[in-house]
Amino acid sequence: MTPQATLSLPLLRPRLRRRMGVTARGIAGVLLLLAVWQISVPLVGLGPYFYPAPSDVWLAFVDLVRKGILPVYLADSVMRYLVGLVAGAGLGIAFGVLIGMSRKASLALSPLFKFMFAIVEVAWIPIFVVWFGYGIETIVLALIYVVFFPVLYNTLLGVRTAPQILVNAVRSLGATRFQVLRLVILPAALPGIITGLRLGAGFAFRGLVFAEMVAAKTGIGYLIFEGAQAQQTSRTIVGMIVMGLLWLAIDQFYLRPIERATIQRWGLTVDAAERG
Amino acid sequence: MMSGTTAPTIERAPAMPLRASHRFDAAALGTLPFLLILGAWALLPYVVDYPAYMLPSIGTVVDYARESIRDGSLPRDIVASLGRLALGFVIGMGLAIPLGVAIALNRYVADLFRPVLSFLQAIAGIAWVPLTIIWFGMGNGSVIFVIANTIFFSALYNTVIGVQSIPLALTRAVRSHGGRGFALLANLILPGALVQILLGIRTSVAYGWRALVASEMIAGSNGLGYMTMEAVQWQRTEKIILGMIVIGVLWVLMDRLVFTTIERKTVARWGLLQR
Repeated sequence: MTPQATLSLPLLRPRLRRRMGVTARGIAGVLLLLAVWQISVPLVGLGPYFYPAPSDVWLAFVDLVRKGILPVYLADSVMRYLVGLVAGAGLGIAFGVLIGMSRKASLALSPLFKFMFAIVEVAWIPIFVVWFGYGIETIVLALIYVVFFPVLYNTLLGVRTAPQILVNAVRSLGATRFQVLRLVILPAALPGIITGLRLGAGFAFRGLVFAEMVAAKTGIGYLIFEGAQAQQTSRTIVGMIVMGLLWLAIDQFYLRPIERATIQRWGLTVDAAERG
Repeated sequence: MMSGTTAPTIERAPAMPLRASHRFDAAALGTLPFLLILGAWALLPYVVDYPAYMLPSIGTVVDYARESIRDGSLPRDIVASLGRLALGFVIGMGLAIPLGVAIALNRYVADLFRPVLSFLQAIAGIAWVPLTIIWFGMGNGSVIFVIANTIFFSALYNTVIGVQSIPLALTRAVRSHGGRGFALLANLILPGALVQILLGIRTSVAYGWRALVASEMIAGSNGLGYMTMEAVQWQRTEKIILGMIVIGVLWVLMDRLVFTTIERKTVARWGLLQR
C-alpha cells in the first residue's frame, strides 16, 4: 500500500481491460477462421485430398504425435535451424567487424559479397545437392548463407556508426585494437547485429522449410512436402500449422525479448504498438 | 558539434591528392577475390581429382551460356520468371494496401485479424507450394499464388506500420478542419503511409524473388528456378551455374534500376515533407 501503488492502479485498469479485449478479439478471429473453414468444407465438397477440414487436420496431428513422427521432425528442424543460424551469425559478425574496421578488407571483399548476396540462397540449393547430396550439409550451408548477409551488412552499419570520438578517446588512453573492438565497436554495433539477426532469422526460417522440402528426409519442410506427395493433404496442413506456430514461438520468446533487451532499451526503435 | 565535424576533415586532408590512385587500388582490390575464385576454378581439376559433372570448366559454362542465348531458351526462362514476379507483385500489393489501411485504421478490425494474419504471415510463401500443386497443378498458377502470397504479407505489414506511424497530431489537425472519410484517406493516410510502403517494396520483392525461384524449382514448368533444379537430375552442372549467375545479375539489376530509384524518390519526398 505504498502511495505509488495506489497511484498506478487506476492507470493500470483500463490498460488491462484493453489488453483483455485485444486477446478476446484475437481469439475470436482465430475461431472465426476455423469456423469458416469447417463450414466451407461440405459446401466446397471436393474431398479431403483437395480440401481437408480442420477436424481431418486435427486427426492427422494426433496420429503424427502418437506415432512419434512429429516430435522427431520438429527436433530435427530446430536443430538444423539453430546450427545454421549460429554459424551464419558468427561468420556475419566476424566479417562485418573486419570490413568495418579494415579499409583494405572492405575494398577487397565488398564487391564479392555484393555479388554473392544477389545470388539468393535458394539458387545455391541445386548445386549444394550436386556437391553434398540430400542431407544436413546442404540444408545447414543454405541457412548459413542466408543468415550471413543480413548480419554482415547490419553489423557493418553498426560498426560504422561507432562514434570516432570514442574510438579516439579509448585509443589515446592506450587501448589496443582488440580493446577498441570490445569497448567501443561491438557495443555500438550491437543494435545493428540484432537487427541483422532478426532479418536473417526470418529469411532463414523460410530457407529451412524450402531446403527440407528439396533436400531432406525428415523435418517440418519434408512433412509439408511429403504429405502432399502421398496424397495426405491434412499432414501437409499439420506441417504448415506447426511451422507457423514454431515461427511465432521463436519470434515471441527469443527474437522480441532480445530486441527489447538491447535496441529498445537504448531507445533506438519505437514499437509500433506504443504509437497507437 | 564543431569539434565533431572538424576532426574527420583533419584526418582526411592528407589523403586528398591520392584520390585517383586510391580509386585504382579500390578497383584492383575489389576484383582480386573474383580473379582468385576464377583462378581456383580453372586450376582445381589439375590439383584435385573429381568427376567432371561436379564442377564444369569455365569454358563449358560460357559455351552453354552462348548456346542457350542463341536457341532462345535462356531469354525465354528469364522472361517467364520476371513476368511471374511482376504479376505476383501486382496481385500481392493490390490486395495488401487496401486491407492494410483498413486494419490500421480500425482498432477492432486490427484486434480481430492480427493473430490470424501474423500466423499466416509466418507460413507465407514457399510452404504453400505442395498445397498449391494440389489446387492448381504444376506451373504458373502455383508459382504466382506463392509469389502473391509472399508479397501480400510483407506489404500488408509495411502498410499497417506506415499508417500507424502517421503522427496523431496530423490526424487530429485534418479532422479538426473537417476532413474525414475519403478526404482524410486521400490527403493524409495514403501519402503518410506511402513512404513506408515504398521502402518496404525492396524487402517484399526480396522475399518474392526467393519464393519465385524456390517455387519454380518445385512446381515450375519453366523459368530460372526450374532450369537450375531440372539440371540436377541430368547432372548438367553448367546449367545450374549459369542459372545462379543469371539470378544474381538480375537481382543486382533490379536493385540498381528499380529499388534504388524508388528509394531516392522516396527520400526526396521525405525531404520535401520536412521542409
